[in-house]
Amino acid sequence: MLVEEGFDLAREHEVESLLAISNGYLGVRASLAEGSEFSAPATFVAGIFGVHPGEGSAPELVAGPDCTRLRLVAGGEEIRLESGEALEHRRVLDLRRGVLRREWRHRTPAGRITRIREVRLASLSDRHVILQMVELTPENYGAQVLVESRIEAAVPVPPLTTPPPDLVPLRLAAGPVADAGPPRLALRAQGTDAVIAFAVASTLWPRAAEGRVPEVEAAPGRVAERWEFAAEMGKTYRLVRMVAVHTSRDADAPAGAAAARAARLAAAGAERIVSAHVAAWNERWRAADVEIDGDDDAQRALRFACYHLIAAADPRDERVSIGARLLTGGVYKGHVFWDVEIYMLPFYVFTHPPAARALLMYRWHTLPAAREKARALGWRGALYAWESAATGEETTPPAVVAPDGEVVVIRNGEQENHISADVAYGVWQYWHATGDDGFLLDAGAEILIETARFWVSRVEPGGDGRYHIRHVIGPDEYHEDVDDNAYTNVMAQWNLERALEVVRLVRERWPERWRELERRLGVEPGEPESWGDIAAAMYTGFDPATGLFEQFRGYHALEEVDLAAYDLRSGPADVLLGRERTRRSKVLKQADVVLLMYLLWDRFTPEVRQANFRYYEPRCAHGSSLSPSIHALVAARLGEVEIARHYFRQAAQIDLANNMGNAAGGVHGAALGGLWQAAVFGFAGLHFGQNGPEVGPHLPPGWRGLRFPIRWRGRSMELRASAGPQQEVEA
Amino acid sequence: MKPETIIVPLDGTEQALAALPVARPLADALGATLHVVHVGERALPSRTLLGELGLDAEDVKGFVIDQRTGRAAEEILGYAARQRRPLLVICTHTDTEKPRGTLGGVAEHVLVHAPCGVVLVEPERGRRPWSLRRILLPHDGTPTTAAAMDPAGDLAELTGAEVLVLHVAAPGAPPPVEPGTLTAPRYLDQPQHEWPAWAAEFLGRMCALGHPPSEVRFGLVMATGEPGEEIVRVAREYESDLIVLAWHGVWEARHALTMKEVIRAAPCPELVVRARREGAPG
Repeated sequence: MLVEEGFDLAREHEVESLLAISNGYLGVRASLAEGSEFSAPATFVAGIFGVHPGEGSAPELVAGPDCTRLRLVAGGEEIRLESGEALEHRRVLDLRRGVLRREWRHRTPAGRITRIREVRLASLSDRHVILQMVELTPENYGAQVLVESRIEAAVPVPPLTTPPPDLVPLRLAAGPVADAGPPRLALRAQGTDAVIAFAVASTLWPRAAEGRVPEVEAAPGRVAERWEFAAEMGKTYRLVRMVAVHTSRDADAPAGAAAARAARLAAAGAERIVSAHVAAWNERWRAADVEIDGDDDAQRALRFACYHLIAAADPRDERVSIGARLLTGGVYKGHVFWDVEIYMLPFYVFTHPPAARALLMYRWHTLPAAREKARALGWRGALYAWESAATGEETTPPAVVAPDGEVVVIRNGEQENHISADVAYGVWQYWHATGDDGFLLDAGAEILIETARFWVSRVEPGGDGRYHIRHVIGPDEYHEDVDDNAYTNVMAQWNLERALEVVRLVRERWPERWRELERRLGVEPGEPESWGDIAAAMYTGFDPATGLFEQFRGYHALEEVDLAAYDLRSGPADVLLGRERTRRSKVLKQADVVLLMYLLWDRFTPEVRQANFRYYEPRCAHGSSLSPSIHALVAARLGEVEIARHYFRQAAQIDLANNMGNAAGGVHGAALGGLWQAAVFGFAGLHFGQNGPEVGPHLPPGWRGLRFPIRWRGRSMELRASAGPQQEVEA
Repeated sequence: MKPETIIVPLDGTEQALAALPVARPLADALGATLHVVHVGERALPSRTLLGELGLDAEDVKGFVIDQRTGRAAEEILGYAARQRRPLLVICTHTDTEKPRGTLGGVAEHVLVHAPCGVVLVEPERGRRPWSLRRILLPHDGTPTTAAAMDPAGDLAELTGAEVLVLHVAAPGAPPPVEPGTLTAPRYLDQPQHEWPAWAAEFLGRMCALGHPPSEVRFGLVMATGEPGEEIVRVAREYESDLIVLAWHGVWEARHALTMKEVIRAAPCPELVVRARREGAPG
């Protein structure tokens, strides 16, 4: 359970994100049903992007209308948190069941006390369905009561903000329909043909009394249902709303499909929705729950992470991926980054392989855009977009005006090329863990080949006989336009090697499929072997004398800055030190070589892992939410359990600390995925030996044990890591 | 709530008169009545009062002129307490021997105990005309400081002035612990997304808490360094006409260091408003 007691207007945007409900298809922020002056409600539907008018605008995930909006009036007084007095107010996210509950007792200025209970869910068993149930009990009065529920297109624009909020206004595609069927509304996202349609089936209980048939209002961009009745003191009234959602991505006539689904829901009843939803969540938790014995805070943080990760993916839809803030907030515009493959994907690979497959298929479907990006920049193969939306085209903005007035040119889209190797890594990890040869043959091999081809065109032979990759940005984005970033080069090297390995495998095991692939991709004789040659001659910046990788060429000559002199809670290092000084220093934004140590663990000796962690960890300012979890993971594997615990706690607080405002625009998907990896691959030390999965735990003091399930090559397993010598793997 | 009475204490020195060129346009913009108050050891005859204060009849057209006897600071505060929605405009000191930026005994006592906002004016600015075109609003990101959004917004709405909110990230300083505080983001994963989102959240949150007029648009800028020095620097670069400071109300040593630095070195008058969140310690 995640409990938010009381009401603090200042924190409302964070609370709306943290307690959001979603199911991979849609997400609903946990806004107050009746709204407040600082509410930012939204319904996000995966894959529905809009575009602001004007040249160069990037697609943005549409902040669709609030489906749970209510207006409650008792005796002529509107019941709102901001007027009168909240005698009790609590919002509870039931992580295990995927249900948001609200309990509220409110006294209006005239003294009317009403008890209100609300339950919401975004069905995990029928992803097109949102269920909202509201109970209202007049405790000390009898009066005429108005209950109005509505869905309207008006985008919630927080007042007085400059620059403008990142919300895409919706314009009406088709008028609301109030015929004999369920009330419905269809809206078109600006600048695209994408349509979202909503249909509602509502019932007010008890049904028998007068006034329980709603008056339906259908105005442009709005559909409302209104009940007005004489409420009796002490009697409980219950509104059940079932909202069906369809889009032009999943139905030819979304409004009709939504209406038909709403009608079916009404016939089936709310109980069936609830029981199927809870059963679906139970099944997902059985496959994903990490149990920690001995640390309640860590347990809570991990369950929070698992909840949002489970809620973020839709295994049915292989044309969408997961945006940086999942379906919980509009910041990052729903854009997809390397976060998916490196930070979130492992969770799905080992707990819900169909979801992992769908995410990787998004990369396969967007290969044409990745090829086009490579071609436009003068290279071959596939260079994935640093930020992508529906089509996979590059959507990284070219610049941003920082709050100090400086225009910062954003070069990630052009230079953060490691994303292609990251995608390849995800493909390999999935195939290795699942043995899904069908995926490898249908999509995975093509991704590996096309990304390898990109690196072939991207490397430059140097006078030293080695291949170099120049003008890149590594994961450490404080240093732009660098040459031979170790992470990029070694990951590219690995990408080339795996592509060759896969070609050899397919050639040998599935010769017919290879001939088809070879013909379709135009693979030249000897081409795959050349990848191996390039990989073998790749410059990596490794110094055998010290065991260190130089993060990029020239890094070791940069200024040392003692980060202990700065309280990095007051701002990121590049703000506190200044961008230019940071660029000239060894200060890192996030795990770079340390991340490399983790991803390619078996490639390095224990001494090399240790040396690089010891060298780079004190120089990292953790200016990215992606950083602490990886440091926790690597520290744990190295047996540095106190350091690991410190970073684990830091990672856990990224969304859950209530004084940072970080989560206002949505929860941090990568940090949540990283937290799960820190527990499973770090503290439990999950690795894959000759006999399959094994654990090699390094538990922090106080942790007595760690238990978690994984899926491995079609089998379900439970792994138990304990502080003692006994470790177990149970299939 | 917009002030309805502007009070300018004058002690008869040339220095004290520096408050008038600031008070007059404020009163005009707010539609407030301007009260000039003199506190002396004995009451002066009406016909000589203006002369004693260094004023002539033309200077005070439309003003209310009043005088009190007794201890200056207490009388000024008592006078303010009896007015409807007062705002005090007072010279920081009138002692010519004291360096610029010094807060005199009367001004300090008035500032610390005032029941209302206080505008502090440097005597060095003399009687040069003053108008309000640019307001600088330093903001530490706490809900308490959001109290300054409303008075700054009111003045902007009435005068058409721009308001620039300034947030200073101070290296080495722990962030405030007040719930609901929003400071510079600790994590800046992708600045192209984080900065616009942070700016929108910062202003949106502070406006929701501070309730300024909805028509007023606030700009936002962030600086890094020692807050007092940065506020003064930005005020100079921005050519601010007024700095609006929210103050928790504790003046003793080691408190209000930022405000003391701003009063010492600011290039323009400061409006100090009391900001105390319900239930928060003083």
